[in-house]
Amino acid sequence: MESIKIKKITSVWIITVLLLFVASIVLGILMRLNQGEVISQSPITFYSNMTTHGLTMIGIWFVAGMAAVNYLMQRYVKTSYTANVFALVLTVVGVVLFWASTFVGKFHAAWTFLYPLPFKDMGSETWATILFLISLTVFGIGWLIWSVSLMAQILKKYSISQSFAWQHLTKNPTVETPPFILITMVTLVGVIACLITAVVLLVLFYAEYFSGGSFVNDALLMKNLTYFFGHTIANEMLYLGLAVIYELFAEVSGRPKWKTTWYVALAWNLSLVFILTAFFHHLYMDFVQPEGLQIVGQLASYLASLPAAGVTVFSIFIAVYRTKIKWSLTNLLFFMGIAGWVIGGLGAVIDSTISNNIVLHNTLWVPAHFHTYNAMGNVLFSLGFFYWFSTQFTAYFHNKKFTNSILALLLIGGTGFLLAFYVGGAESIPRRYSTYPAELSVGVNLATIGAVFATIYLIAILMFFFNITKRCLKILSSTS
Amino acid sequence: MQQQPILVLFLALAGAATIVFIYVFVSSKKAAQTDQGMSNPLKKRFWFLLILFVILGIFTSVTIPKSPYYLFAGETPTKVVHVSARQFAFILSEKAIDPKNPSGENIELPANELVEFRVTSLDVNHGFAIYDDSNRLITQVQAMPGYVNRLQYKFKKPGKYDILCLEYCGMAHQVMKSTFIVK
Repeated sequence: MESIKIKKITSVWIITVLLLFVASIVLGILMRLNQGEVISQSPITFYSNMTTHGLTMIGIWFVAGMAAVNYLMQRYVKTSYTANVFALVLTVVGVVLFWASTFVGKFHAAWTFLYPLPFKDMGSETWATILFLISLTVFGIGWLIWSVSLMAQILKKYSISQSFAWQHLTKNPTVETPPFILITMVTLVGVIACLITAVVLLVLFYAEYFSGGSFVNDALLMKNLTYFFGHTIANEMLYLGLAVIYELFAEVSGRPKWKTTWYVALAWNLSLVFILTAFFHHLYMDFVQPEGLQIVGQLASYLASLPAAGVTVFSIFIAVYRTKIKWSLTNLLFFMGIAGWVIGGLGAVIDSTISNNIVLHNTLWVPAHFHTYNAMGNVLFSLGFFYWFSTQFTAYFHNKKFTNSILALLLIGGTGFLLAFYVGGAESIPRRYSTYPAELSVGVNLATIGAVFATIYLIAILMFFFNITKRCLKILSSTS
Repeated sequence: MQQQPILVLFLALAGAATIVFIYVFVSSKKAAQTDQGMSNPLKKRFWFLLILFVILGIFTSVTIPKSPYYLFAGETPTKVVHVSARQFAFILSEKAIDPKNPSGENIELPANELVEFRVTSLDVNHGFAIYDDSNRLITQVQAMPGYVNRLQYKFKKPGKYDILCLEYCGMAHQVMKSTFIVK
């Protein structure tokens, strides 16, 4: 009974994520078409669409990672079905409220809602800002309870030191912590830390909103809180995807399961430290921020790449190199996603260098690198899981044509769409401009090219969407 | 012009990474059932990590001293420009700007001398980004309410420079622009 319930709710998560993904890609393409002067939207429509696109994408890929981790966690510990349903309901309610604030109320302060921008009258409805803050609160409550519940279930079976695999740092450990548990635990600590920060941030917003002007926040503190929350959640969702890969890559490839070793344990524990301190790189251009924190930002951003490349990426190479493995759409998506993650990471490390950031910050280089490790990295991790999950319970035959078409379209669409961003960044084209001034007209052409390639990427996602949704609907209607 | 070498470096690294992934994938496709995979993986992993660590160490030691905070350390600016950003304009003045009654003037700056921009905001966060006459971003700093960021720069070429906002600040963000002249 329990396994039927978890199967069904995971199917609902997958359909919800894919539906919202398609809608958000369409918004993204409309933005690039507007910048390319192919269509003409009012600035307020452009910026409210931009706000919807950004937060919806962050939200869905976070919950996609959580839903996948929750499903696979059943192999090790019993998870709370109630917390899972609660998170689903609150996510859907949150999306309805959030979309009402942007599509109807025209809230358009971007998904980073950098203080004090949401409080400035900007042509949106008077209720839009408070509705936006309420929608964030709804997401925050649902996700925080879900994350805490998952962590509590892990800690019922493993002690704190075991859940972080610290015994693997000693000689001859007697208990083995599966890599999946270790990575999930490390990730949940980060997730809970950033969600608690989001709560503090929201409380400060509410305090100023309801004080009628008698309480005013500090812009630098609010910016630090915003990026601790925003940077961390955007990174942690990637690590949820990696937990899934550690669990499934060897299994779907017909290879022995990966084990936790001393260097895997060390790498993931160090990752936690670097992930939580790298966010300072968002404030390099705030020269009033203490210089020591700026340097910590660059060092943490650099060091974060060591455990990622030396352990996770290298483990994938070891698993694949000169080894006969069973390739399917699932592990091909995982493998391609790791490549996208690495390439996006290279763009990120370049941007996290302070002396480069001064000419790249808030240019198109920023969406270039984060779209690389999301659209061609983390998204592929989750799509790999969706495909694996849906084929577990429905008739499956390896359709080579389907697999090859999806991968080719993703690769062509993704590469072209991302290159337009990178070249734009190198050409000093600002990000978050609804249209470009005449002197930056190169940005117009690049935007049109970006839109064309993004449409190719969308075709792949639509093919995937119909295939997976059909399977998930079958799972929902079955009784076993 | 710093951006072109950055793009070339990125494309070279991304290309190299792609080749490695393709090579590893092809080796699996071609592998026979008896192939044993990578030999001595732990040793190779160690060397890979060490090389990466050394490369990152070199990058860190070369780039950190070039950070904008240290570029003109010990030098005194010959000219100070006060900048107040607000939705959706920049106010520039050689005198301190009164936030209650802000006003500015046209600015002319000397070439090859150290200039300091004291940048703040009267409302939301803005970006203060300077573009040269070939429309290339040459330096920037954030404009934050309640704080003054000091951006120092030596303009090498005389000409017209544009200031664009690089921090999203609302629905006319994309038209927030000002100019100054360097002689």
